[in-house]
Amino acid sequence: MSSPRDPYEHGGGPARREAFDVVVLRQDGPGKPSYWERHRVAYEPDMNVISVLQRIAANARTAEGKPVAPIAWECNCLEEVCGACTMVINRRVRQACTALVDRLLDEHPGQIELRPMSKFPVIRDLVVDRSRMFETLKKIRAWLPVDSYLDMGPGPRQSQDNQELAYVLSKCMTCGCCLEACPQYVKIELQRQPGETDEQFDQRQKAAFDRGFLGAFAIAQIDLFNTNPIGEMTSRERLDALVAEGGIQVCGNAQNCVRVCPKEIPLTRSIARAGRIATRHVLKRWFDR
Amino acid sequence: MEANCLAPSLGRYEFVLRRLHSLTGLMPIGGYLAFHLLTNASIIDGVEVYQRRADQIHELGVTTVVLLLEWPIIFIPILFHGILGIVIVSRGKRNVADYPFIGNIRYTLQRWTGVIAFLFIIWHVFHMHGWFKASWWVENVVRPLGGGRFDPHNAYTAAQAIQESVWVQAMFFVGVLASVYHFANGLWTMGITWGVWTSPRAQRWANVPCAAVGVFLACAGVAALIGMLVADKPGAGQVPPVQTQDSRIPTPTASVPSPVEFANPARIEVSRFPSSPPQRAGRTT
Ligand code: HEM
Ligand code: SF4
Ligand code: SF4
Ligand code: FES
Repeated sequence: MSSPRDPYEHGGGPARREAFDVVVLRQDGPGKPSYWERHRVAYEPDMNVISVLQRIAANARTAEGKPVAPIAWECNCLEEVCGACTMVINRRVRQACTALVDRLLDEHPGQIELRPMSKFPVIRDLVVDRSRMFETLKKIRAWLPVDSYLDMGPGPRQSQDNQELAYVLSKCMTCGCCLEACPQYVKIELQRQPGETDEQFDQRQKAAFDRGFLGAFAIAQIDLFNTNPIGEMTSRERLDALVAEGGIQVCGNAQNCVRVCPKEIPLTRSIARAGRIATRHVLKRWFDR
Repeated sequence: MEANCLAPSLGRYEFVLRRLHSLTGLMPIGGYLAFHLLTNASIIDGVEVYQRRADQIHELGVTTVVLLLEWPIIFIPILFHGILGIVIVSRGKRNVADYPFIGNIRYTLQRWTGVIAFLFIIWHVFHMHGWFKASWWVENVVRPLGGGRFDPHNAYTAAQAIQESVWVQAMFFVGVLASVYHFANGLWTMGITWGVWTSPRAQRWANVPCAAVGVFLACAGVAALIGMLVADKPGAGQVPPVQTQDSRIPTPTASVPSPVEFANPARIEVSRFPSSPPQRAGRTT
């Protein structure tokens, strides 16, 4: 913008900010039209987007003074480990709890823009339905099969290298940033048909999810569980999911996922490793039948 | 949408189709691109050298060239890769504006250059080759639309077709560079797709050979274009030019029947002006 900064303008430095605008893309319910709404928030030092949303809820008035229903959003841990507060802030997906207002206003003086994630169905305002991610975790069997009434004794030992690899991959919090930024991951949102029961709708939705792209997080989770000595025993099931419709082949190597992952998970490394294994798995399936 | 009606039946084969898409990008399409650009770059050493290259290829005989080389290892793989490529492009949701990372820019360019290459190749093959060699097609479609300009027995016709218009030159410039970028960047993504380079460090290093291939082929492509632009009518080559009233129109010099002609007698005719009606003067049959 203009070169010499006016000290009374927004963005002139934390001490000089008085108030800033928050524009929110709202939606009253699933399938309803979305609309923009502007709120004005008094500046306080060290705010994050969650505290901004709390102020907006307390005020419940737009910048023009019109009373409105409070904005809906989700959060839990407030320390970037649960992923619940993920949303698109200033056009970039991230966690609201660790999005610091001072930094956001430095990037874009005077205004913060909030939108729900665009790759998941909106439930209300900034709350989205990420159940597709959890269905994906079921599809790839992202767990170790150790359920038993018997004492199976200690598990096999893992090498130090494996532990280190597993540790970084295990930090995934299913937040969905990698999917929001991925140009190959597209939203799947079904409309309820007249007379459809909840079960019928769920079934139809699951079938649609099943054919969609797994996404980077799931490929990294396949890597995690297949390199675990116990998980490896059931690796074939995960590899079957890896090469099924919506599998690793959908990735177009844009590598946005790794750039936006808040946990800095080496997603593109897992994708390349999985690409190698996937080809071998398919060939093996053909020739070992 | 096409992608959606294809999906239910082809979903099961999605993995194999995408691996074949990747493979055809390298071989035969990428290999052919390199061969093709290097062949054409030989015109920089003169039309005679270029003619010799063309003769070497066409010595194989029309059946080999058309039935074994052109369709199975060039046209069909390009159509497969190109049509599937368009389906892939139509299914993605590009977002460089919001995420202007270098990888994302390359991804988006990969898609744009793929589409440009697709349109360019369709036009280019029509312009130089005519797609099909059946005489009814050549006479009723290719000639009236100014296509099928290249005659391997008078390779200078390629240069002539390019020299004709600045639009043709611009399309070649954009089409060739788009194809080269697409191939070089495609080599890099292929290394990830097949798991050749997996770690971020290896992927960074892999940029070097891929960029080298790209720069080399871009130079070959530009050299070919420059060679085409500056090429003179063949002088003391195997094809002696005959003077006509308009020096831009070479006379039907190649009227000596060659093996290609049995498939299509109309091909002997090399003197075509894009706007002129189909001429029959050069026909010997
Ligand atoms: C000039 C001829 C062409 C060459 C040499 C070529 C080569 C390649 C190569 C080597 C790849 C990398 C495959 C991979 O990442 O595994 C690729 C990918 C791709 N090509 Fe082509 N290609 C050509 C023409 C086309 C055309 C005409 C289209 C049509 C739009 C197209 C669309 C694509 C797309 C969309 C990809 C990305 C696939 C992905 O990332 O999954 N290409 N190409
Ligand atoms: S590398 Fe693959 S998964 Fe990651 S953002 Fe790109 S297309 Fe999506
Ligand atoms: S891989 Fe990273 S960005 Fe993706 S869901 Fe897990 S933590 Fe979030
Ligand atoms: S509230 Fe848990 S990540 Fe933000």
